[in-house]
Parts: sequence; C-alpha cells; structure tokens
Amino acid sequence: MNRILNLVAIEARIELRERYALSGIVLYVLSSSFIVFSIWKQLPAKEWGLTFWVIFLFCSLMAVVKTFGRENEGRYFYYYTLYHPLELFVAKVMYNLLLLLFIFLTLWFVLYVMAGNHIIRMGWFLTTGLMASLGLSFLLTLITSIAIKTQQNASLTAVMALPLMIPLLINILRLTAYASGTTPDENPWNEMMMLSSIISLVIGMSLWLFPYLWRS
Amino acid sequence: MQEPTIHLSFRLAAWKWATMGILIAVFIAGWIVPLKSGIIKVTPDKAAAGEMLVVDVTGYNSSFLTDTSLLRAWLRLSGDTVIMATRIQVTGDRNLSARFYIPSVFPIRQEAYPLTLVLDHSQDGTSVLPNAIFITPALAQDTSELKLWFKDKIESVHEKAGIQYPFRNILAETIRNTYFHVPMWFAMIILFGVSAWYSLKYYQQGLIDFDRKSIAFIKVGLIFGLLGLVTGMLWAKYTWNAYWSWDVKQNMSAIALLIYAALMVMRSSVEDDMQKARLTAGYNMFAFGLLIPLLFIIPRMTDSLHPGNGGNPALGGEDLDNTMRMVFYPAVIGFIMLGLWMSQLVYRTDKLKGNQ
Repeated sequence: MNRILNLVAIEARIELRERYALSGIVLYVLSSSFIVFSIWKQLPAKEWGLTFWVIFLFCSLMAVVKTFGRENEGRYFYYYTLYHPLELFVAKVMYNLLLLLFIFLTLWFVLYVMAGNHIIRMGWFLTTGLMASLGLSFLLTLITSIAIKTQQNASLTAVMALPLMIPLLINILRLTAYASGTTPDENPWNEMMMLSSIISLVIGMSLWLFPYLWRS
Repeated sequence: MQEPTIHLSFRLAAWKWATMGILIAVFIAGWIVPLKSGIIKVTPDKAAAGEMLVVDVTGYNSSFLTDTSLLRAWLRLSGDTVIMATRIQVTGDRNLSARFYIPSVFPIRQEAYPLTLVLDHSQDGTSVLPNAIFITPALAQDTSELKLWFKDKIESVHEKAGIQYPFRNILAETIRNTYFHVPMWFAMIILFGVSAWYSLKYYQQGLIDFDRKSIAFIKVGLIFGLLGLVTGMLWAKYTWNAYWSWDVKQNMSAIALLIYAALMVMRSSVEDDMQKARLTAGYNMFAFGLLIPLLFIIPRMTDSLHPGNGGNPALGGEDLDNTMRMVFYPAVIGFIMLGLWMSQLVYRTDKLKGNQ
C-alpha cells in the first residue's frame, strides 16, 4: 500500500510541477460550461443534470488521456522491474480518481454559480459523483493503457471508451434525475445496486486484464 | 519442376448441408405461407349513439363471397356486452357493409365509447379489429334500450383451417420479419460470445491462431448485427412510423456495434502482430463483459416499444403462435449455423492471407 501511495505521490508531483496541467482542467471546465450555457441560455433542472454529465465525460476523457503518456518508455521499463503491474495500475487509478473528483467538484461549483443549484438531495448526488468517478477512473485507465500502445492515442481512447461508458452513464443519469427531483420518486436503490454491480464488473475485469495487457 | 496436382472435390460437412436446407425452408415458408384473414379498415370510425349505423368493412385475405349466409358481425364494448349486426351486405370478397343499431344508453359511463369489431365467417374464422369505432353519447337517452347490449353473445365462432400465420393489426404482413430480424440478434450474441471465448483461449495459451479465430467471429458478428439493425429499422418504419425512434434496444444494439467497430479500428492502428493480438484479446473480453448489462439488463429496466418491454406483450403470446414457432425456431438455429459457417470461411481466408 505504501508503495502504491508513493507512486501516486510521484504522479502528483510530476503533474503539479507543470502548472498548466491542473489549471488546464479548470479552464476546460469553465470554457465548456460557458459554451453550453450560451447555447442553452438557461438551464432547467432536467437539462442541468444532462449538461453536467456531458461536460464531465469530455473533461474526464481530456484529463485521463495522458495517463500513460507522461513518462517515457525507459521509465516504464524501470517501473516494471520495481513494481508489480497491479501496483502501477492501482496507483494510476487512484491518481485519476482524484482528478475526476476534482473535476466533479469544480464543475458542480461552476454550474452552481452560473445556473443555480437544482440538486435537492445533495447526498445522493455526491454519492453518484463518487461512484461515477470510481467506475470511470478504472475504465478510462484500462482503455488508455490499451490506446497508448497504438499509433493514434488520443482519438482511440475516445472511440473505445465512449461506447463502453454508456451502461454506467445511463444509471448515473437516472440517479441524477432522482437527486434533482425531476423523476417521480421511485426507489433509487435499484439504480444504485445496478450501478455498483456494473462498477464492480469493470473493476474486476480491469484488475484481471491490466497485468496481461501491460506486458510488452 | 513438377506441376502440383490439384484435386478438386466438392465435399461439405453434414451440418452445412443442414444449414442450407434449414435456411431454404425458412425462406420459402417465411415468404409463401399466407396470413389469416383480418380487418384492415372500417368507415366511418366515429358515430353517435341511438342511431342506425352502417359500417363499411375492408377485409384482408378474406373470402366474404363464399357462404354469405353464415357471416356474422358484432360490435363489442367489453366481454359479453355486444351488439350483433342486424343485416350484412356483401359487396365483394374483401368488402361488406354491416348495419347496427347502437343503443342510446351504455352499461358504463364514459366520454366516448371505443367499440371492437368482431367478424365471424365459416371459412375465414374470426377476425377482430380493436377500437374500430368511437361512439359519442346520445342526447336523448332511453334506459329501456340497455337490455339490447346483453341480448346477443359471441358464440360458436369458427377457426380458419390450414397453416397460416396470425393476422395482427399494425403488423400485418411484416410479421414475417420475425424470422429474419430476431435470429440476427441471436446469431450476433452467439458469435460475439464465441469470439470472447477464443480471446480467453488466446489469453491462456497465446497461440496466434486463436486471435485469428476470435477476429473472424467478430467480423461476421458485426455483419449480423448490422443486418439486424437494418431489418429492425425497416420494420420500425412500417410499424412505429420511423426508422429510428430512440428506443432503448435500438440504442443499446447500435452502441454494441460501435464497441466492436472501435475494436476493429484499434487493431488497424497497431503494427506488431503479437501486440495486436494481445490488445484485441484484452479489449474483447472487457467489451463482452460490459455487453451483458448493455443488452440484457438495461433494456429490461426501461420502457421500450419492443415486445416484452414496458407493458407490451412478449414474444410467445398471440404474436408467436404454434405455426410461427415451426418456422421461427429453425430460423434461429439456421442463422446461428450460417454465422458459424461464415466465420469459419473468414478464418480460413485470413489464415491463407497470413501464410503468404
């Protein structure tokens, strides 16, 4: 565990050393919110939730796409001798999870300021955000590890990850609709169970497949 | 240098002959067997209560001209609450006009009363058109007419003899698409499943042959998925009045195709063969794992226009009677076997190309 945290710390240090990384994400969130907002003019509760997750998805793609691109090949060879691939993977996932949570909170704040808050059940929305960040960080980290080995890294990450996100996204949207009170009150635990089972499927499969995909 | 001698022999495995036989039978039976008779159109579709009403009925596959005397017609409010036609005049095999007296009072009170037209003919059997006529309440109501509703009963109805597919309203002749649209999805799922299985074999043993097999199954599975989508869209145009109505099953199956198309794109952008095979195997297993909630769980949780979802009757109700089952099950088996056969051919050609 210590070794993993160590890797996360290295990762964070590399990222923070370059100022543009985090501020780039904030600017991305801001400018895409502005574009969406100037198209919509106003955001009623239902559209608020949809807009939120559309921006979130594209921001997270943008933020995660360079996961494995930061270090050069030699460094990975060095890591390979030091760490088990799963340690590396979990470290990357943890760092991406932090990034996604950062995006989630930033975006929530930006939309809160610009379009008002439409979330009635804060706890539910926060849990949804946590679950979404968890599932997406595993999924996106695995997909970027595949895409980094191909010729056109960035576009392939999007092409491969977007359709795979949809089962997660559908449940997330339903939970958001519940949290903002735009659907008639039904039992949200069903959706929560569904979401957590899909996420555990994603986690299980990515933990199983990553060591295999990483060898090269 | 000696010329290699080529022995041309035409031998096919028994199951391939069976595939061809089954599919030819499915195509012939699927296209040629006629539909039972039904009612397409009724004019007028609105009328007032307490008046004489003459209804012009257009039938489908019907033979009204034979046995005119045994033709009976009812307008049904619900259950045994019916009105029998007082006189029926046949003008052609597909046209007749029936005369009803609509009582001025109804056993229940509503804004408007939808009535179902039921026809019975000694040869054509019973045909039903739900909500054929909407009756608006009469101004002057005579309560003594209430008993008219309970005077007659729908009884001693006939069955049409012979092998025919059921006539369903809205569906009509497009019901035959059941034999082509539905088996495509069965075949696609089986092919993708087999492909994931070969990816697992590659994961375990690392033989490049398993990669070739798994990719052959994906290619053919994509073709079947596309055909399933196209047949479904054509069917939707006739029954739901739009090629694409953002129905959850339409979306999910299109997404499934996108996932596998992404796999093909990813493959083409990797140069090293072993790398390509390993990435394909990993992504393929991951994708198949996520395909299960996508195709089997999420569509069951939402409303859909498809049968079996959102309160629509499922396959196996009246839509799939025993006559249709006799064609439908062989069609499913036949198309799955065709898929396996095609994948085998794709695998062989890929192998030959790889050896050159």
